[in-house]
Amino acid sequence: MDPLEVFKVEAPGEEYGEKKYREILLDILQDLGLVRSIGRLYVYADISKPYFAVFGLFRGALPPLLVRDIGDVAAAGDGFQIKVNDEEHLADLVRVLWERYGRDNVEQPDRDILTVISKDSPADIPVADLDREFRQDLTDALIRIAPEGFRNRMNEMKEDSFFFIAAEETLTSEMIAEVREKIRGMMNA
Amino acid sequence: MLDPVMYTGGVYKHDLIMELVEDLGGYLLQKNVTQSEVILLLLIPSDDMPILAALAKELRGELVRAPLAGTEVAVVTPTLAIHHLPHSACDVAEYLRRHGAKSNMVGLARGVGREIAQINEYETDLVNEHDACVFMFGNFVQCIVEKGPLYRNINVPVVVTGGPEIPKEKMPYAFEYVSSVGRISHRSKKANELANLDRIVAAVGRALDRARRDIEKDPLTTSPPRVMDAVREQVPEVQSSFSPLPIALNLNGCRIKLPYDEFHQAVSDVTFDEGMRLGDIATIRPSRMKRYILVRIKPESETGFVI
Repeated sequence: MDPLEVFKVEAPGEEYGEKKYREILLDILQDLGLVRSIGRLYVYADISKPYFAVFGLFRGALPPLLVRDIGDVAAAGDGFQIKVNDEEHLADLVRVLWERYGRDNVEQPDRDILTVISKDSPADIPVADLDREFRQDLTDALIRIAPEGFRNRMNEMKEDSFFFIAAEETLTSEMIAEVREKIRGMMNA
Repeated sequence: MLDPVMYTGGVYKHDLIMELVEDLGGYLLQKNVTQSEVILLLLIPSDDMPILAALAKELRGELVRAPLAGTEVAVVTPTLAIHHLPHSACDVAEYLRRHGAKSNMVGLARGVGREIAQINEYETDLVNEHDACVFMFGNFVQCIVEKGPLYRNINVPVVVTGGPEIPKEKMPYAFEYVSSVGRISHRSKKANELANLDRIVAAVGRALDRARRDIEKDPLTTSPPRVMDAVREQVPEVQSSFSPLPIALNLNGCRIKLPYDEFHQAVSDVTFDEGMRLGDIATIRPSRMKRYILVRIKPESETGFVI
């Protein structure tokens, strides 16, 4: 079963390519952990032109990652102690704390322990913009997914959707309009 | 008639196998030691196979036929980018290696796209130094068919792989087309995927058999393993080459991984028991691969004798 709500791939005259590109898309999106953030996905490829396009709708924006999301914050001595549970964002966390409290007021006595000398709790400070990271990863995934020779690309990221087109020849406004029309047709089918 | 086999067993007493191979008049093509295990690629006279099998059994080793041993196969992809590597090109190269072939990956500089794909003279020459090659393409029929010019000037048999079923007539320059092996982005581990890799190995095997039959019509003056043995003995520098396989065998010669300018005279002067020099019975020229030494043994029709 597809993990996406709607997942359509169309490539006129290339039944095998259609089937295989479903697998490639899912493999790459799963490898990069992007599947859960995408709700609907429409892929249209015309090899006689040739071009390859993907249109997708996001499931909703990801909230920013706060200090309390990656560790347990507790009052200790003159300030607060953070016990880090998710080491993936540890470097970002240290950078943010340095910026907010200054290097002299932040210490790391152990690999996963940080202490901050401050009167305000650091629990609600944003550490990373997950939504921006997700969009960067998605762009990387789309470049990997598109056939390799299609090196003229356009990537349009909006609040709730994205549109990517790649072609061998120069992209023209007529080509882009044609692809948009095809994808609209797939959505309404 | 020499049979290619692969011995896998413990390092302990594996030298007995090597000694036996020498005594039987066979050849050791390659030796790989991985911690406590050793893998030997051997050529053994067919009649003496039971003797070797008995010793392998005694040493608790495994002896399997390696039909592609003593050959070099190029695995050619449109580029060496993430679209082709590590899956599926590495899977194919590794599978060919397991069957005894020496496989080399070749990524073309400008092989991508449907209309813009091209191959240059250097790449063509490099692929032509192999015994056979596998061109790996993607999942779209049109792209696979239109990439024919990439391998039109290749003289060795070309096995083309791709996803969809395509009639062979649409690819006049290919030796064989193997379907169901298009672009994939996961490791080949399911039974049907492994079966597809087996089909590629079988196709390469058939291509090499054809090349062997062609050679048999006008036999080589001497066999490539004999050249390898003589070079190993008389040009000791080859033993200190950093390549995992200092002498790579081809069906009609070998590639010696020493710099051409420095060592081609020494290789040319290698003498056989019958008194002939290698330079007299073979063409020795620089290889397109890192300017190594490429030896191409002349056929009987050119030299007038076989040793």
